[in-house]
Amino acid sequence: MKTGLAARFNSGLAWLLLVLLVAPALVAIPVSLTPRRFLSFPTDELSLQYYRKLFTSPEWLSSFGQSAVIGLSSTLLATTIGTLCAIGLWRVSSRAGEVMRAILLLPLVIPPIIAAMAFYRLFVPLGLIDSYIGLILAHTVLSAPLVLITVSASLAGFDPRLEQASRNLGASNWTTMRRVILPGIKPGVMAGAVFAFIASWDEIVVTLFLSKFSVYTLPRRMWNGIRENTDPTVAAAAVVLMVVTLVAFSIWALAVRRQRPTE
Amino acid sequence: MAGIGNSGSLHLKSLVKRYGGFTAVDNVNLEIERGEFLTLLGPSGSGKTTLLLMMAGFQDITSGDILLDGQSIAAMPAEKRNFGMVFQGYALFPHMTVRDNIAYPLSVRKRPKAEIGAKVDEMLDLVHLTDFGHRFPKELSGGQQQRVALARALCFAPPVLLLDEPLGALDKKLRIEVQAQLKEIHNRVGTTFVFVTHDQEEALSMSDRIVIMNHGRIEQVGTPSELYQHPRTVFAASFLGKSNFLHRKDAVYALRPEKIDLAAAGTGQGANTVSGVVQSVTYFGAMLKYQVQVPELGEIEVDVDAWRGGTPVAEGTTVDLTWANTAAVRLEIEPK
Repeated sequence: MKTGLAARFNSGLAWLLLVLLVAPALVAIPVSLTPRRFLSFPTDELSLQYYRKLFTSPEWLSSFGQSAVIGLSSTLLATTIGTLCAIGLWRVSSRAGEVMRAILLLPLVIPPIIAAMAFYRLFVPLGLIDSYIGLILAHTVLSAPLVLITVSASLAGFDPRLEQASRNLGASNWTTMRRVILPGIKPGVMAGAVFAFIASWDEIVVTLFLSKFSVYTLPRRMWNGIRENTDPTVAAAAVVLMVVTLVAFSIWALAVRRQRPTE
Repeated sequence: MAGIGNSGSLHLKSLVKRYGGFTAVDNVNLEIERGEFLTLLGPSGSGKTTLLLMMAGFQDITSGDILLDGQSIAAMPAEKRNFGMVFQGYALFPHMTVRDNIAYPLSVRKRPKAEIGAKVDEMLDLVHLTDFGHRFPKELSGGQQQRVALARALCFAPPVLLLDEPLGALDKKLRIEVQAQLKEIHNRVGTTFVFVTHDQEEALSMSDRIVIMNHGRIEQVGTPSELYQHPRTVFAASFLGKSNFLHRKDAVYALRPEKIDLAAAGTGQGANTVSGVVQSVTYFGAMLKYQVQVPELGEIEVDVDAWRGGTPVAEGTTVDLTWANTAAVRLEIEPK
């Protein structure tokens, strides 16, 4: 059968692509377990020494902490800004609004290296280089469009009559937003927050431009680890990075499933 | 004032709504009396929903005014108008239980908890949903959701309740049941109801008065029997019930199918008698519907009580049609 063959070919191709996409990331797992002193595949035995090093070294721990602080702060800011933008554009829904939306999505289109240079030029005179605030602001700008996209998708499925009903029943704009709109678009807001966190959590290009000595995020330390020596701790850090990302996604997926109708 | 609720009068003065070049509502003047059940009836695009949304405050007014108990509310935002509204599709908040939905208008008004609880109990009782307070909207049937929407819209004792095709999503049998419940609730609360529908039976059976709308204008206003017995225009005569139209000289008359008697050829006795040939007979249980071709009038529809008529007259038979002088109503050629 022709269709059956085509379908099988399609799904085979999809699996092949999936493996090609995921395999390079998974290479970090065996490498992180190597007993040797440089980046290599373990041959006869496995060792957890680099995980021990990762979780005991003050430098690595401090980088974890910094990445978490910057990631969570920029997530909070980006989620707030992105959600408000999405609701505003949804309410206005005009041609000017669509132009505005295109402008707001620009950070996704601009190559990171260009964005990094722009931030650098802007932040030097402002004294924001090598500061938490500078990185948090930059990551917020980069990740707010992600929130705008996910929240807008949620709003597309939101019945505008619910907003009318709320206002008709006497609720102010603010009450309507807090008690009717936000609960209705929660899955989109949470998805946006997860994407925003991940975007900041493994961001390297802009970080390289904006940090020097005092701010040293996890991706930055990994970058240096690979460049200066071939310390397998980098592989262990990569595995931890992936696990954190996966956990964030899982929390979101579970939360969305709980939101679904119970039947 | 009768009833346990509140009630207000609405006065629409020369209301106009234009979208670019299109006039959705065209110079509507209407007095809605305190406590009445008024229906806006018309086909889709007739402006009835736009008119309702203007009363609710969700559509700006191009020109004209809306008065509530003599005070202009045209510039007042929707949330300040204090009107209840039952939306098409009900617009219940899906993340709130039935109780929380009904309590919403009271809690946004910051009423004390005890008062809210008592009021919600009272409303659940009014709509016969006492045991359903803890359920979510999606766990209810369409008819139950409709009642929750009604309870939510009435619990803050609004002076006016606006209903936008609230029975459209229900199947026919349930709709008749809900019509009776809605009418009963209207009698109990005494609130002014403004009801939008395109269903003429619904309009006839529930309303104190009906406003027939067409192309953004009011075609005719009156009680259901006034409109049915004395339609003024071709549109009113054909949209509310069925009519045969008789063209005589320069006038048009509307003649309801059930007001015509059908008799064997040559036996017709009445002020007006014509003869024609039966084209088709359709059986509807309670009645028989005949299409009769009359040379001077065209095709005439005649309804005969099925139990009265004996054996149906066969197709191709020549018959006499008769009707009383008062049965045919002279229409205005141009509306107003």
